[in-house]
Amino acid sequence: MVLMFEEAYKQEPSNEELGMQTFFANARAGHWKSAQQIATKMYKQFQEDRYLYWSVMSAVLQANDPATPAAMRTILYKLAHRIITSSPTPSYQSNDRFHLHLSILRELELYDDAHKLLDSDVGKAICSTSLSCNEIRRDIWRKRGMIVDEGKLATRRILDKHDRNWLEFLSILDANFSYFSSSDGSPPSHVEGLEQVEKTQELFTRIAEEDGPKDRSAALALLELEKRARNHGISKDPKRLVTLMQDYFTRVGDKACCFEDLKPYLTLEENDLTRWTSFLRAVPASFTTPPELQRLINSHKLLRCNLTQLELSVEAETARATLYIEQYLEGLKLGLNLLPTELQYADDLALLAANTLVTLWKFTSDEQYLFNAVTLLEFALTRSKQSFQSRLTLIRLYRLLGAPSLALDHYRAMGVKQVQNDTLSHFLLSRASTFSLASIGDLTLVTECLESTQIYLSNSQETADFIVRAFQGERYSQIPEFIIFEEQLDNSLQRDIVKMEHLRMRLTHEQITSDVIDMELIELKFIFDRTHHDNRDFDIMSNYQPKISSDTFSQTNLLGMNESHGWLKSFLKVYIRAFQQGSDLDDSVEEKLLIGDRPKQSFGADSRPPLRQRLAEALSEEELAELTQDERLFVQFARALAEWLEPYHDYTRPPPSLVLAEAAKQTELKTGYPLKGVDLAVLDRSSSPLKKDEEPPAVVEPPEQVSRFFETLKGRFAETLKNSSPVQSLHVATLIQEAFLLFTVETLRFKATALVKANKFGALVASFKTIRSDAAAVLRDISTELVTQSEVVATAESRKAFVDACATVTARGIDIDFTLNVAKKVTDARKKVIGGVGKGIGRVCSTYAN
Amino acid sequence: MSVLRPFKATDMFKFNNINLDIWTETYGIGFYLSYLSRWPDLCSVQEAPSGRMMGYVIGKAEGSNTEWHGHVTAITVAPEYRRLGLARKMMGLLEMVSDEIYKGFFVDLYVRCGNSVAIDMYEGMGYSVYRRVREYYGNIGLGKGGQDEEDAFGAFSHADV
Repeated sequence: MVLMFEEAYKQEPSNEELGMQTFFANARAGHWKSAQQIATKMYKQFQEDRYLYWSVMSAVLQANDPATPAAMRTILYKLAHRIITSSPTPSYQSNDRFHLHLSILRELELYDDAHKLLDSDVGKAICSTSLSCNEIRRDIWRKRGMIVDEGKLATRRILDKHDRNWLEFLSILDANFSYFSSSDGSPPSHVEGLEQVEKTQELFTRIAEEDGPKDRSAALALLELEKRARNHGISKDPKRLVTLMQDYFTRVGDKACCFEDLKPYLTLEENDLTRWTSFLRAVPASFTTPPELQRLINSHKLLRCNLTQLELSVEAETARATLYIEQYLEGLKLGLNLLPTELQYADDLALLAANTLVTLWKFTSDEQYLFNAVTLLEFALTRSKQSFQSRLTLIRLYRLLGAPSLALDHYRAMGVKQVQNDTLSHFLLSRASTFSLASIGDLTLVTECLESTQIYLSNSQETADFIVRAFQGERYSQIPEFIIFEEQLDNSLQRDIVKMEHLRMRLTHEQITSDVIDMELIELKFIFDRTHHDNRDFDIMSNYQPKISSDTFSQTNLLGMNESHGWLKSFLKVYIRAFQQGSDLDDSVEEKLLIGDRPKQSFGADSRPPLRQRLAEALSEEELAELTQDERLFVQFARALAEWLEPYHDYTRPPPSLVLAEAAKQTELKTGYPLKGVDLAVLDRSSSPLKKDEEPPAVVEPPEQVSRFFETLKGRFAETLKNSSPVQSLHVATLIQEAFLLFTVETLRFKATALVKANKFGALVASFKTIRSDAAAVLRDISTELVTQSEVVATAESRKAFVDACATVTARGIDIDFTLNVAKKVTDARKKVIGGVGKGIGRVCSTYAN
Repeated sequence: MSVLRPFKATDMFKFNNINLDIWTETYGIGFYLSYLSRWPDLCSVQEAPSGRMMGYVIGKAEGSNTEWHGHVTAITVAPEYRRLGLARKMMGLLEMVSDEIYKGFFVDLYVRCGNSVAIDMYEGMGYSVYRRVREYYGNIGLGKGGQDEEDAFGAFSHADV
């Protein structure tokens, strides 16, 4: 595409439209060097200013490219600087050109030049209307050490322009406290600093009073000032911090944001903490209006945050949970007239209760607490349908309880769309293969995986077009941001975690053939070398746990783990190695078969050791730490298996020439055209896959990690049966199934009896038979066990047990029938997944047992 | 206690607490990028001191001759940050930019007829209704709203900044 335009433009250099299209084609492809050259050419030819700026922007983007070495980066920025300074029209003619100019000066550390531009009348005018130019101005002033000037400017903006941007308040504080540190080399000036702080205190106090309830910035700024004063040891009044916190609470306590606003100030010493706690405890427990209820909720959140270890006993937490539930139900009465689209005023009390119940579950490992939590939150949703926080918590809890279909329902109800698939799909798809029923033909989770990947295609197709649009509109401030966005989304960690989960599910459903192995191998290799960006949103779920404990999200991790780069790397190594061994494709073959379709090599490809070497590397401690113990055993099994079988695969794999010859033949048969890039005349047709120069490798016994794997894991499976939640059992069972499938992948090649005979691998195949039958026996037992379990998990007794366990919520007023309904849903969901996984294991077993 | 700053592309990774709310639609990447690539100065974010996004506004400039004006395409604040005057501030910035940079003659917007809270806010800021557009909005499954659910009020304000 790019080449096509470039050729055409070469032919017609006076065609401006063609020039532009060539420029755009290069911009879309990220070829900034060429883009810069074309823009320069166009400027010379057509003398339009914007082409000059296009050339400047291209030079900057080329400099920013990670593949550009550091020395080159500076050179390119200097080039950009030269060009932009040579512009006949000054950059301040447009905010975005001005922004570009400033960013170049900043990069080259030409702060004085930048300051001159900014200090002009035009510069000042631009900064007063353009947030992005003002942003870069702030940065440049700070880098230039103009901290005090910034403070002065901020004061003017606050007073004259009535600006209440939090950044202005911070600028004043930064300026004040700069007197106490000698970061710029000059000696600290305590006296001056104290004066400034005093003045600022008066200023903020005055503004807080004037603004009253309309704006809380000044009130919060007073808190921040006091905190910094304490840190610098210049606070005059040891009681002031808590007094300010109390004032703030009095002012802002009726708003939901109060809790978050005060959080940074909650690290208090004993005396302060006592005062603060008694103040909060004095907040009335009874309420007749929504603001009063909000105050109570805020007081609970704040108190909970500072709970000490002593206060976190089972009794105390139970009492708190009970209190929250009671107050929640009371609070619902205030919301009787709310529209169904609105959240209930009392919702956060239900969440506080749920958080407390999670803590209790963590202490006792007793599922009853989770039963109570889900019942309460399900109830809360009937009154507050839009409470996505309730749904997020339910998704986490249902997965912990082994009721994944209920988690799926709530995930769907949230209406996650577009880019949210990248940031939020982990709630549903993290270790989803544990719950997948693809083995019995239920492709629900497989489909969810595929749907969540649509966004990456949109990104590839669309984002580049908007980079072009930004060039057209000369919106230079946006272009680097678009590129970062595109890159982060394209190289999303979640994208590839989902890909891995999808693969793991797929193998339980589709027949394992060499085609599947080949295709997956190519994709996985590409993923392996990517630098991943973790875009997952873990902050979305509200957390009301005490500071000394983990947050709710961490506490509700499935299997106590949250997978990340290390987990992905581990599984990629396992599968790439297995597929590589099972495949006839090697690098040269792959290159020839994928001309044009090969994804672009990631930066740094040449400096790395060969793939084989990297795959054989042992996992680091960090990587291992992200695996559950059973996953570690699985990974070790895979590694031992690969090491054992590597020589046999390498020996028996047909040479590339033969593979290509076969591929060429197939292509010609299918399409009628010869395979491009493959010169058949050069191939050695006479080499037979069965005749080799060296002797075949001798057959050795399987390593213990392979031969004993299934027995060991069977033992671990048996242990998990003691748990009330089926999650551990499902985890181990699906891993055993996965190991069996991996074994199938690794031994597929040796099904060819002629091959085995010719190479004297009879003993090897005999080993396989033993391992396979051992594995099959274990799987059949597990399958039976799971199916049996599924038959007793959803009975009248189990439902009654659930309802009985929910005494905490039912005693406070949640309807028994409602609870029974939840019980039914949970137990049915468990039955479905346990039975489904069990039956599926049976199917997989019979498919590959021979 | 909020920072007013430009909306940037990577904010799409951080806006879930705003967008999971029923009133806020999550559009395709192209929607946000099309605005940012043309009118980035009419798109801003309110951010909490903790770094969390509290709300954002997406706007554009359109129309010809005396109809040249700023338009608020979307403005939204996360439920936990409502009633703090954040929307008002974002609207103030948009009006200022529309007036001083784009030289628009006025600013207009659409609001669901059933969204009385929003209507009150806009009227408090000097906006008035000038027309009703049938079935402008998608159905959000309220059920009983009838016409108010999907119809929109067009509201405009003269740029008397």
